Amino acid sequence: MAEAVSPTTSKKPETPRIGVFICHCGTNIAGSIDIDAVKEYAKTLPNVAYVDDYKYQCSMPGQVNIREQIDANKLTGVVVAACTPRLHEPTFRAASKDGGLNPFRFEMANIREQNSWVHMHDREGATEKAKDAVRIAVAKAALLEDLYPKSVPVERAAMVVGAGVAGMQAALDLANAGIKTYLIEKEPSIGGRMSQLDKTFPTLDCSQCILTPKMVDVGRAENIVLMVNSEVEDVEGYIGNFDVTIRRKATGVLSPEEAEAKGIVGGGCTGCGDCGPVCPVTKPNEFEMNMAPRKAIYIYHPQVVPLLYTIDWDSCVKCGLCVEACGEKKAIDLEMQDELVQVKVGTVILATGYEVFPIENKEEWGYKRYDNVITSLEFERLICASGPTGGHLVRPSDGETPMRIGFVLCAGSRDNTGIGKPYCSRFCCMYSLKHAHQIIEKIPGAVPYIFYMDIRSFGKMYEEFYYRIQDEGAKFIRGRVSNIQEDPVTKNVTVYVEDTLLGRPMEIELDMVVLAAAVQPTELTNKTRKLFGVSCSQDGWLLEAHPKLNPCGTTTAGVFLAGACQGPKDIPDSVAQAEGAASAASIPIHKGEVELEPYYAMCIEEKCAGCGMCVNLCPYQALSLVEKDGRTVMQVTEAKCKGCGTCGGFCPGGAIWMNHFATPQIVAQIDAFLLGGEQ
Amino acid sequence: MATKNYPDPILNEKLRDRYYHRDQSNPEFTKEIEKIAGTMAHMCFQCGTCTAGCPSAPRSSYRIREFMRRAVLGLEDEALTDPDLWFCTTCYSCTDRCPRDLAPTDVIMAMRNLAARRDIVPVNFLKTVQAIYSSGHGVPNNDVNRAAREKLGMTRDPPTTSMYPEYIKGIQKILDHYGLKERADRIIKEREG
Repeated sequence: MAEAVSPTTSKKPETPRIGVFICHCGTNIAGSIDIDAVKEYAKTLPNVAYVDDYKYQCSMPGQVNIREQIDANKLTGVVVAACTPRLHEPTFRAASKDGGLNPFRFEMANIREQNSWVHMHDREGATEKAKDAVRIAVAKAALLEDLYPKSVPVERAAMVVGAGVAGMQAALDLANAGIKTYLIEKEPSIGGRMSQLDKTFPTLDCSQCILTPKMVDVGRAENIVLMVNSEVEDVEGYIGNFDVTIRRKATGVLSPEEAEAKGIVGGGCTGCGDCGPVCPVTKPNEFEMNMAPRKAIYIYHPQVVPLLYTIDWDSCVKCGLCVEACGEKKAIDLEMQDELVQVKVGTVILATGYEVFPIENKEEWGYKRYDNVITSLEFERLICASGPTGGHLVRPSDGETPMRIGFVLCAGSRDNTGIGKPYCSRFCCMYSLKHAHQIIEKIPGAVPYIFYMDIRSFGKMYEEFYYRIQDEGAKFIRGRVSNIQEDPVTKNVTVYVEDTLLGRPMEIELDMVVLAAAVQPTELTNKTRKLFGVSCSQDGWLLEAHPKLNPCGTTTAGVFLAGACQGPKDIPDSVAQAEGAASAASIPIHKGEVELEPYYAMCIEEKCAGCGMCVNLCPYQALSLVEKDGRTVMQVTEAKCKGCGTCGGFCPGGAIWMNHFATPQIVAQIDAFLLGGEQ
Repeated sequence: MATKNYPDPILNEKLRDRYYHRDQSNPEFTKEIEKIAGTMAHMCFQCGTCTAGCPSAPRSSYRIREFMRRAVLGLEDEALTDPDLWFCTTCYSCTDRCPRDLAPTDVIMAMRNLAARRDIVPVNFLKTVQAIYSSGHGVPNNDVNRAAREKLGMTRDPPTTSMYPEYIKGIQKILDHYGLKERADRIIKEREG
């Protein structure tokens, strides 16, 4: 069984001397496990030279004891029975190193998360399980070898996916820190959701007014390579060295730089707008929530960055009128094809944002059936001075000014039916308060009715904003709307709700209802996260490495999160997280190199038959076949290998050695478990 | 809920002690409701969607949300002795719309079952039992209906126990098995003499 030998040479044979340190973790472990029993048991195990226990092994005295006992007892390996390696493996590795051991001679036995916490009411069983865990860890520790982490250089460039306010902020921070940053955006303009909003709570500053300076900065920043109409197509590599393929979708329009590259001097799109008016095709403008027209060659709005027209190929009839109108600038190329661009970056920030949940799925509120039931984003465009109505709020059914407007909160949020979303969408309360303020301000005599379950005004100056809106005359009715009915003649909408504070059902006829619809991750989020190997939670939001202590990181080294893609977030929180992510993403780049865990696979060349089956199995393209001494053998690119073990488990000849998870080490663990104490 | 002894009964009711005290709650009541109703009644967060869409609420004092609250708090006596319990039409609108995916209708049905164990059932419900026992229908056919059916080109009686009264015996056997008729007869007799 243990015939496979390590390919590492010049290893002096040694008799293992293992030290076992059992942590009480206060009462976290000691409360449900008999520490003395485990300690006495550990003393009986083969190769164990020293056993100790301590209240908090991770504390300084605990660490110092490990260091001292390594020296005093000439230990060759250390086992700490405590919490999960995710928490304290680095601590105890460092302590082992301080004691003069190679840090990879350390092995952890998890007797907290996987034992005392789950077997809280079975002290005897938990104690036996802890003995098993210690025995298994000791068996492995006896066979551990010295390993040396490799450092790889980090590419001095970063990538940000998504150019909403979070992505823009992250890119600006990185660029200002001197890092070349690729900013990838799938839409024709940067700006994201924030550019669709009219005003922002609680300060009521104009969203575009505070956003466009940032957009301009992004457009001008020397260190930012802006790619709009672009999507991530493929990702290879690892922290420090991501090879990313970007699909630059054909826009049909050349920028001045692209035109010059093609030899068209002084040409390219200047955003003059001559093409739009001649285009015979009219389509709804997505930016205006489909409430205003655009042509097949279009820009979303006058402040787009970059100011370049885009052709919507699904509706373009290729009549060529725009080409004629463009004239000498020769900016329009109706035969343009998608382009694949390869870039190399050291770190990546995902900022893919959110979209509105299809609220028509909650049929009782009649969205898409009733003209005068709209979503909050539609309201934003209707109340916005640069929107389709010039900021005059009108009813979609007849263009009249609505005087009584209902706001339905938690529309599809906090919903466990399987149709809506179980989570709180977090910013609906606040923007609905803002909407109420806006109609009071803009339409004399208009009354907003806010139907709410709870008003969650948790941010800085948010509760004060709630106070202000109530004072301004908004009517707050604490109850969730059960259903809405439309008068087929007047198109007025009647809301059915209970004033739960009075205990009284209400039937309230309104001119218009705004649904504060739940939000969900954008459509492309799932595809993009898979390319980068990032996990998501059950509801689709991208998963942070730790919800409290590592909210910007992911479990993939070198990939970070910013903004609403990680969970519903308002603008201040999105920007704050973006700055955090930018800071985190710049660290490996500024350090210049990253240490990779030495858990890569190694080929035992004498045994390798060169069959190449492992090469195809490897999910990271880390393996290849090479000629060596007249034979074909496999070769590992150590920096690409993640030590997943797929090849090692498969190799028919047992020719692959997985560092730190080698066959003899794992077999010893299994034997230790199955054979109990008798090895 | 202690009462004070005012001579005026209205005043007495208005000025009675309103404090909730923990001993009014029976946690077993909540558990029993959940067992019978098969819904997590304790998860109600009192949004009012149920009452808002309830066809009974705008025309009666019945508040389904309040019964859900009583289920959450285990207010057994308050729930079972409230005559409003019997105003639910069991249309299931609340169950359709509840954002917590609960079944308030089934909570009401569970409460009615528990009330019935204490003989708390309105007489009209019991008379329905008697009607089913004697005719197989809660609302037996009558001459007005028969005339209407004939006018529409249908048989005078529907193809149920109305047309085949020999099957009433089977229905009676089921009701007798559960002692429902006997129970209804006894309670009606106690109330009406």
